[in-house]
Amino acid sequence: MSGELLNLTLRVWRQAGPAASGGFRDYQLRGVSTHMSFLEMLDVLNEQLHQAGEEPVAFDHDCREGLCGSCSLMINGQAHGPERGTTTCQLHMRRFRDGDTIVIEPWRATAFPVLRDLVVDRSAFDRIIQSGGYVSVNTGNAPDGNAIPVPGHLQELAMDAAACIGCGACVAACKNASAMLFVSAKVSQLAILPQGRPERNARVVRMVAQMDQEGFGSCTNTSECEAACPAEISVSNIARLNREYLRASMTAEF
Amino acid sequence: MNALVRILSLPACYLSRLPGCGPLVRACSTSVGQKILMAITGLSLCGFLVAHLAGNLKLFAGEQDFNQYAAMLHSLGPALAAAETGLFVVFVAHLGLALSTTAMSRAARTQAYEVMESKQGVFALPQGGASGWMLVTGAVVLVFLVCHLIDLRLKVNPFVDYRPAVAAGAAGSAGGHVNEFLAVRQVLTSSPSRYIYLLGLVALGIHLAHGVQSALQTLGISHRRWNPLFRLISLLFAWGIAVGFISLIAWAHAVNR
Ligand code: FES
Repeated sequence: MSGELLNLTLRVWRQAGPAASGGFRDYQLRGVSTHMSFLEMLDVLNEQLHQAGEEPVAFDHDCREGLCGSCSLMINGQAHGPERGTTTCQLHMRRFRDGDTIVIEPWRATAFPVLRDLVVDRSAFDRIIQSGGYVSVNTGNAPDGNAIPVPGHLQELAMDAAACIGCGACVAACKNASAMLFVSAKVSQLAILPQGRPERNARVVRMVAQMDQEGFGSCTNTSECEAACPAEISVSNIARLNREYLRASMTAEF
Repeated sequence: MNALVRILSLPACYLSRLPGCGPLVRACSTSVGQKILMAITGLSLCGFLVAHLAGNLKLFAGEQDFNQYAAMLHSLGPALAAAETGLFVVFVAHLGLALSTTAMSRAARTQAYEVMESKQGVFALPQGGASGWMLVTGAVVLVFLVCHLIDLRLKVNPFVDYRPAVAAGAAGSAGGHVNEFLAVRQVLTSSPSRYIYLLGLVALGIHLAHGVQSALQTLGISHRRWNPLFRLISLLFAWGIAVGFISLIAWAHAVNR
């Protein structure tokens, strides 16, 4: 079974380092199999560049299974490309046509500075998690798994929020570069569960403060984040974040 | 814009020095807090719109009813002044917060994308629907509001002939006041006011179409079962208000024929 072969023009953002000024470079790529993933296509490009003695294009990737959230490309103006609920590594070249020009850019946000070419520094997300995206537990014997009953529908809700892989597509696709979908997923996955309740007030206040400090924009409820999210996190989590924040500001003791 | 934001945030700075107000100002000054205030002020202004439209629909009831209503408002005296001041404060707060959160978002992305494409499908408006037009429609509504105040609060628009209203008022039909019914009719049929009003009201409709549902989401009022209904109510409310006011312009034209 041989798929169609594509001839493509790639317009790729090249930037030598964080302080360097970048720009677009056009590359021609011939005979790309439609069975390739988007990242495999970039591997072929880099092979070609390497053979020509040029610097390969730097891009983030790790699992290539849609699980880790490392891959992060703005493809023709869409975070992770045209497919809904799909990471760049799971995007296949059959979504493109022969002769297409594909514009590839890094995430653009002040809080995500470009390190090199298509790689951005997403440690702002790590610092938000460090500020409150955890539960404190005593070490020692493992607790009885069923000691705390959790209703099934709450498990589902928490798991839906926990599907966030922290890739940053919500920030990238938002016209305000807001991180509300990410933060709301991280607040929700814990706030819904009994284990997360004791720290819920401090958590939301601290995580929102850290989010602001990192320089993310403010949410206008445009819902572009939800459409761009490869894990299909719902904006109802943002409403929950707002509720948690209201509640914490009015009632909290911490 | 940043200088403007700093000036508009001065009241909050002074408020935070008042004993007991520190925690409130702090909770309201984060991005989420500002949005919550935005929602509360926005919905309060919607409340005013409902009252204003209800009052003005009395135009349909005829000259006497409308002038009675106007006289009743005037007779409130200090209470009316207090309500107007409150309204002004809420309006300025809404505007200040809009500028402040916009400044935050502008700073959050200084380098634009070469290509930007929505994944949400088709919208009635480009730029991601009404939500992409909040600042623009808000500014149009502001201009409309200023014109409206010049026209009917101060009654000093040089393009409007106020003489019939003043003469009728002096003749005693409205207890010595200007005959408001005639004044409104004169304004609504004069150019450029009627065009500014029409534009302002369409902008208001677009603004509210996103604003109301966005305010609900910001206040945490969201449920998978009810969200489609909230959305419908928001749209009906937005265009109900806009079309309601536009009907007054249409009425003024019909009776002036
Ligand atoms: S590389 Fe891990 S999600 Fe794409």
